Amino acid sequence: MSAEPASARVRPRITGFFTDSTLCIGCKACEVACKEWNEIPSDGFVWSGLSYDNTVSLGHSTWRHVKFVERLPVHGAGGFSSPDVSWEFSSDVCKHCEVAGCLEACPTGSIVRTEFGGVYIQPDVCNGCGYCVVSCPFGVVDRRPHDRAFKCTFCYDRQKAGMVPACAKACPTESIRFGELEVLRREAAARLVELRAGGVEDAVVYDPRDTSVGGIHAFFLVRGDPKMYNLPERPEVPTVRLRPAWRSAGAAAAAILTAAIGAFLFADGK
Amino acid sequence: MTRERIPDDASEQALDELRREAGARGAVPRDGIRPAGAPFPMPSPSAETGYYGLPVLKEPTWTWEVPIYFFVGGAAGACAALSAAARWTGADAALVRKARWIAAAGAALSPPLLISDLGRPERFLNMLRVAKIRSPMSVGAWTLVAFSTSASAAAFADLVDRRLGGSVPVRVLADAAGALSAVTGLGMATYTGVLLGATAIPAWYENAAVLPAHFAASALGSAVGLIELSGRSDRALNALGLAAAAAEIVVGASLETRRGRSLEPLKTGRAGALIRAGGVLSGPLAFGLRLFGGRSITMRRAAGLAALAGSLCTRIGWVAAGHVSARDPIPVLNAGEDRDVEGGND
Amino acid sequence: MPGLGTSFGRGGATTSQQDLANADAILIMGSSMAENHPVGFQWVVEAKKRGAKVIHVDPRFTRTSAMADHWVPLRAGSDIVFLGGLIRYVLENGREFREYVVRYTNAPTLLREDFRDTEDLGGVFSGWDDEAGKYSPESWLYEGAKPKGGEPGHEPSGSGHAKERGGESQDDLNPSPRDESLENPRCVFQTLKRHFARYTPELVEEACGVSKEAFLRIADVFSSASGPEKTAAICYAVGWTQHSTGAQIIRAAAILQLLLGNIGRPGGGILALRGHASIQGSTDIPTLYDILPGYLPMPLFDAKVDTLAEYIERNGAKKGWWNNIDKYIVSLLKAYYGDRATAANEFGYGWLPRVTGDHSHQAYWIEMADGKIEGLFVMGQNPAVGAPNSRFGRKAMAKLKWLVVRDLVEVETASFWYDSPEVARGELSPGEIGTEVFLFPAAGHAEKAGCFTNTQRLLQWREKAVDPPGDARSEAWFIHHLARRLKARAKLDPSPRNAPLEALAWEYPTLAPHHEPDIETVLQEINGWRVADRFLVKDFTELAADGSTACGCWIYSGVFPEPGHDNNKAAKRAPEDFYGRGWGYAWPLDRRILYNRASARPDGKPWSERKKLVWWDDGARRWTGNDEPDFTKSKPPDYRPAANAQGDAAIPGDAPFFMHPDGMGWIWVSSGLKDGPLPTHYEPLESPVANALYPKRQKNPAAATLERPGNRYAAFPDRRFPHVMTTYRLTEHHTAGGMSRTLSHLAELQPELFCEISPDLAREASIVHGGWATITTARGIVEARVLVTARMPSLTIAGQIVHQVGLPYHWGSRGLVTGDAVNDLIAFSQEPNVRIMESKALECRIEPGRRPRRAGAVEKLERLMEEPAGNA
Ligand SMILES: Nc1nc2c(c(=O)[nH]1)N[C@H]1C(S)=C(S)[C@@H](COP(=O)(O)OP(=O)(O)OC[C@H]3O[C@@H](n4cnc5c(=O)[nH]c(N)nc54)[C@H](O)[C@@H]3O)O[C@H]1N2
Ligand SMILES: Nc1nc2c(c(=O)[nH]1)N[C@H]1C(S)=C(S)[C@@H](COP(=O)(O)OP(=O)(O)OC[C@H]3O[C@@H](n4cnc5c(=O)[nH]c(N)nc54)[C@H](O)[C@@H]3O)O[C@H]1N2
Ligand code: SF4
Ligand code: SF4
Ligand code: SF4
Ligand code: SF4
Ligand code: SF4
Ligand SMILES: [Mo]
Repeated sequence: MSAEPASARVRPRITGFFTDSTLCIGCKACEVACKEWNEIPSDGFVWSGLSYDNTVSLGHSTWRHVKFVERLPVHGAGGFSSPDVSWEFSSDVCKHCEVAGCLEACPTGSIVRTEFGGVYIQPDVCNGCGYCVVSCPFGVVDRRPHDRAFKCTFCYDRQKAGMVPACAKACPTESIRFGELEVLRREAAARLVELRAGGVEDAVVYDPRDTSVGGIHAFFLVRGDPKMYNLPERPEVPTVRLRPAWRSAGAAAAAILTAAIGAFLFADGK
Repeated sequence: MTRERIPDDASEQALDELRREAGARGAVPRDGIRPAGAPFPMPSPSAETGYYGLPVLKEPTWTWEVPIYFFVGGAAGACAALSAAARWTGADAALVRKARWIAAAGAALSPPLLISDLGRPERFLNMLRVAKIRSPMSVGAWTLVAFSTSASAAAFADLVDRRLGGSVPVRVLADAAGALSAVTGLGMATYTGVLLGATAIPAWYENAAVLPAHFAASALGSAVGLIELSGRSDRALNALGLAAAAAEIVVGASLETRRGRSLEPLKTGRAGALIRAGGVLSGPLAFGLRLFGGRSITMRRAAGLAALAGSLCTRIGWVAAGHVSARDPIPVLNAGEDRDVEGGND
Repeated sequence: MPGLGTSFGRGGATTSQQDLANADAILIMGSSMAENHPVGFQWVVEAKKRGAKVIHVDPRFTRTSAMADHWVPLRAGSDIVFLGGLIRYVLENGREFREYVVRYTNAPTLLREDFRDTEDLGGVFSGWDDEAGKYSPESWLYEGAKPKGGEPGHEPSGSGHAKERGGESQDDLNPSPRDESLENPRCVFQTLKRHFARYTPELVEEACGVSKEAFLRIADVFSSASGPEKTAAICYAVGWTQHSTGAQIIRAAAILQLLLGNIGRPGGGILALRGHASIQGSTDIPTLYDILPGYLPMPLFDAKVDTLAEYIERNGAKKGWWNNIDKYIVSLLKAYYGDRATAANEFGYGWLPRVTGDHSHQAYWIEMADGKIEGLFVMGQNPAVGAPNSRFGRKAMAKLKWLVVRDLVEVETASFWYDSPEVARGELSPGEIGTEVFLFPAAGHAEKAGCFTNTQRLLQWREKAVDPPGDARSEAWFIHHLARRLKARAKLDPSPRNAPLEALAWEYPTLAPHHEPDIETVLQEINGWRVADRFLVKDFTELAADGSTACGCWIYSGVFPEPGHDNNKAAKRAPEDFYGRGWGYAWPLDRRILYNRASARPDGKPWSERKKLVWWDDGARRWTGNDEPDFTKSKPPDYRPAANAQGDAAIPGDAPFFMHPDGMGWIWVSSGLKDGPLPTHYEPLESPVANALYPKRQKNPAAATLERPGNRYAAFPDRRFPHVMTTYRLTEHHTAGGMSRTLSHLAELQPELFCEISPDLAREASIVHGGWATITTARGIVEARVLVTARMPSLTIAGQIVHQVGLPYHWGSRGLVTGDAVNDLIAFSQEPNVRIMESKALECRIEPGRRPRRAGAVEKLERLMEEPAGNA
């Protein structure tokens, strides 16, 4: 908004997703559109019994995933409406972290940050080492058995062609909003105020910016505790553990070397 | 989660039983049991249980070769360090040579193990497109390359040296390679701890500062064991074995005394059993055998064997614990609630 | 849709989905709009954002309920009690929009003295003939109205679709007496009050299982969102129609909306949410047996309409728009028979087939089972899964000599002879089935150009995106070439029965490479042209009764007013205003909100600034506004017809419902419905609950059960089938599943048939969540996985707990995911007006575990049927 240096202005805008779950009707059009566009294979035909969610989580072959948070009220026998039945839907996706665990961890440089700020796996570079899989604090990216790692591309191909990502395009209720990240963040704040004013007290914006993840480019507005949606309270990018770990490694290496030299010098007193 | 399931009447009946039990008791705490939607009524999503109790994280996708590689690479790396230390301190040349050869053998075995996990040899080459200091996997890949090269160069130079009779340039080369393999070998012995520690998996990252040291001790113990089993009985080795076992005891004790849901996989189930067995084998058992075995070579070898077995169990156990930990959403969801993560931001 | 047709004049949604955004309250009932019309639902979401209250009344808590401000669970099949309760609430509390009711509806009209209400006769209206099983509706007429020759109402062979315009029985040029004070005990308003007097909140609680408080809350929210400053809309779909009282449920909604002044106004209306992409189109240009395009009735054999003049006399009206019927039927005949249609031969009227009996879907199937039908074309339908009593249906198909199935995939209907459950159960054997099955690959909608008419009467052109694969061809191609061949044959055999075929004008240009007929030419023919020079007509006002014009469907006329693709208004894609004018073409004449004259006061000024839509511009002397006025544009508000005026000229300037002879919205429907002038609550044909209003009339007397072997019913009461069962859709699948079970991206989202039951029922029946249950009705037996959920509450009805079992119906024996066909459970049955089956409320039994395999399943069912039904 304020005057930016010219160089900043020519950079492509940083885009994001604002998924407003209060508008989501659980139609799964996003999930299907993503699969169609990206030609993702099926994820298996298994009925889960978990409300209407049969794909269960994001994975190597589900890059958009709609969660069905069905809360059981305390049920009496018979009787009238259970006023506290609630059924929330929320469309999950790769968070495109500001500081992305997967990207940091990737040894091949396959995972890159695109000019739109998204986190993108170059499929021809990935070697399937699986290290990103254990490095994502949100459990998003996954390796297809005997194959490489896959996750949401943020529709890099579509964005490059000036198109809206397939999932956002398909969403009938604008629950998935796509646009410039900072604009979306302001919209989310405004929406939160609006919802709270309308009596929706339990609405929260999930965008962990005060942890090492430093904010996510795909953030969410949900009702109730984000943990019900399997969104961790304080996700940390694994690289915060590098320092203590390497410190320990260095100390241990030094110890081995010292001990070995010491042992050979003194223990084997020839 | 497993996706293929062909139900028959018996399995369905068994499932119904499980569901009933789950309905009555809330949950069926048995391995590998997740009857669809159980317990009944299904656990409503809540702040306490997360989304139907489903995992937040993905389990590691590594195949069985990976913990073996951790073990082999670690032992070989420590061997290289020992051989270099022995060389520098002027210890017995035969000891130096033995250690070099063991290191070289490990160095030769490691890449195939990794490649087998990746599927195709070319895939390993992708690792060498870039060097990323912040990726332990990248650091590890380069370390492995450097270690494999230097360890085999050292052994090869040693061979040439012996075949062609002492030649100064060759020996200098062998020593240089030996020194490099020692440095990279120490990397091999420790980086795998970093590799696990710097991930999103609670049972691992909660031990980010422990694992490298733990794996180093484990590697040292198994290196000592290998050299001893190859026929050496130097006192220095026994001393190092004692030190490694002592370190394992400290690690084990610290793991056992710490509590918390995220550490449960280290103490329960198959993974817990493996880690504990590994701890006992390479810690108290190895230590005791060495301490009380006096000069008995057999006892030392037994200690070496225990350390080796322990080390293998430790690696397999820790990887397995990562799987179990990844399946438990609770520590992931609640992480950082009460405590600041020890953080660096380099 | 005679419910809407008889009430307002046209059998289509009165409003558009976009307009829902203007509503102050939206009642969604009998539909899970968010799930089945997710794209349209965006306007409900928009309305909600603007502050509207959304109410969902549904036996289940669905994805729609999740988005609603209020969800009220009710017992399936009790909707008329709920709506009747709302009507009574409005009347008792003076919540009606008085001026609207007095000026725009037939509430003041006086009724005949000999009319007797259900309240007087224990559950039937006057005119009921128990023996014949039907009404003679003469006593329902307005006072002073004289029935046109013959018997008013329907001939038995007809169905209700052509009666959209209603009123052939009271086409009297003298207006019936009205009492605008609404005090006269014989006026419609007072009759209505008496009729619904017993629909109290207490009755709602007793019959629907809706608590009094919940009901009163909804009644207040909905009725207080109506009036000059506010409007409320109602959305429904097959949760209302698929009942033995379906049309009357919709009538109840129409009465409510007329009382509240919500028709023809922005944010008001009744939105009938239609099904398949062009299901509205398939009644406009019908796939129904009893109407011709544009809701012109088919000549019925027993209606004695042998000549064209008789047809016009019988089906036309002197007053109101239907005065034009002669122009429409003659133009249609000209389109059919071209030059062969002349004034001398009544434009070929004699060639039109006569309807001799019930030829609706279910009647077909019964005749098929009886071996009366030799061959069948099934195009774009999968009755082996989607039709009621599909078990009966599959067995009936085995009696055919030949069967042609045109579909995208080999659906169960085409494969029944070798892989149906009946084959597995040994009831049919491929070796013994004589049916020769021809499976034709059909081009999908993206593989051919054409037109959809959607839920809001909007014609939308669709370009071909890709060529169809292999031998797949469009329906148009198939029909076109079939017709050509049949005509060629007819030419060879000049027997009289071939005359109509031979006379048929069948000239359509075809396109390379597959000789697909040029579908835009077809749309031009539908639009209509001058016969002499094929000059396209501007719209239906240019049609003539002298044979100088041809028009394939008068209501669509105006869609293609000039040649050239650019003038195909259905293909327009540039919306210019809120109502989306400029995008597609809404019949009639691109009017988006019907009867919108009612959005202005009688004097032509908007009721309020906030709710203005069209109004009279005194300067320009014409109607204008934000939508295309649904009224003769130049007719001023104070226009009064001359004594002998006919047609539209007989409609005053303040009568918005000009399709009706009196120009009024019909709270009272004196003719056009076979089961009464007002809605009355009857229990579903199968129900565990006794009719709380009329103990002697448990179910709709005019509905047909079609009971016979293979189509059995539970007794009343019946302890074998103690629970209410209902069926519905899932967003993830499409109807009979041929288009969703075959696609991995959809199939994986809902891979198995499941039932939804309450925790209470689960406990009572020892059924476990995630396990299996077997559901049985008197017709069939299926197994399903179990979702135990509080979203499917058990209800207290008349002091008893009533459990409801919910089943989506998308599975069959083929595809990537398979499951039992739920329609094996549903009975053939006929609502009296449209002959639809009752698939939304019936009785079932549920037991834990899977059903027996193979023949065991049928044996289990038969054993059960031998058990006594009597009360334990
Ligand atoms: N995704 C998807 N969309 C579709 C279709 C599809 O198969 N899949 N089908 C299309 C077609 S052909 C049609 S006709 C429409 C149908 O659209 P809908 O009418 O919305 O479809 P249903 O799900 O059959 O029924 C709607 C609701 O009626 C409720 N219901 C059942 N019995 C009763 C009752 O007695 N009273 C009341 N008030 N409610 C009751 C059910 O619980 C259900 O929630 O959808 C169209 N859209
Ligand atoms: N129990 C129960 N039963 C019901 C209902 C209910 O709510 N409950 N709802 C009823 C309703 S409203 C409906 S509409 C019916 C639907 O029942 P059906 O119409 O029998 O079911 P669909 O699966 O929609 O069948 C359409 C077929 O057309 C094929 N198709 C698609 N496009 C084309 C094309 O361009 N050309 C050709 N030739 N074929 C094409 C598809 O592959 C599909 O197999 O089910 C009814 N049955
Ligand atoms: S959510 Fe996971 S996969 Fe996505 S960018 Fe962040 S770390 Fe990477
Ligand atoms: S699996 Fe592929 S994307 Fe993931 S870390 Fe390894 S190389 Fe990078
Ligand atoms: S952005 Fe593209 S790849 Fe990512 S979820 Fe949406 S559709 Fe799929
Ligand atoms: S498409 Fe939109 S409304 Fe539908 S499930 Fe996805 S986010 Fe929700
Ligand atoms: S399938 Fe087509 S008609 Fe149905 S909601 Fe989606 S877009 Fe609309
Ligand atoms: Mo439908």
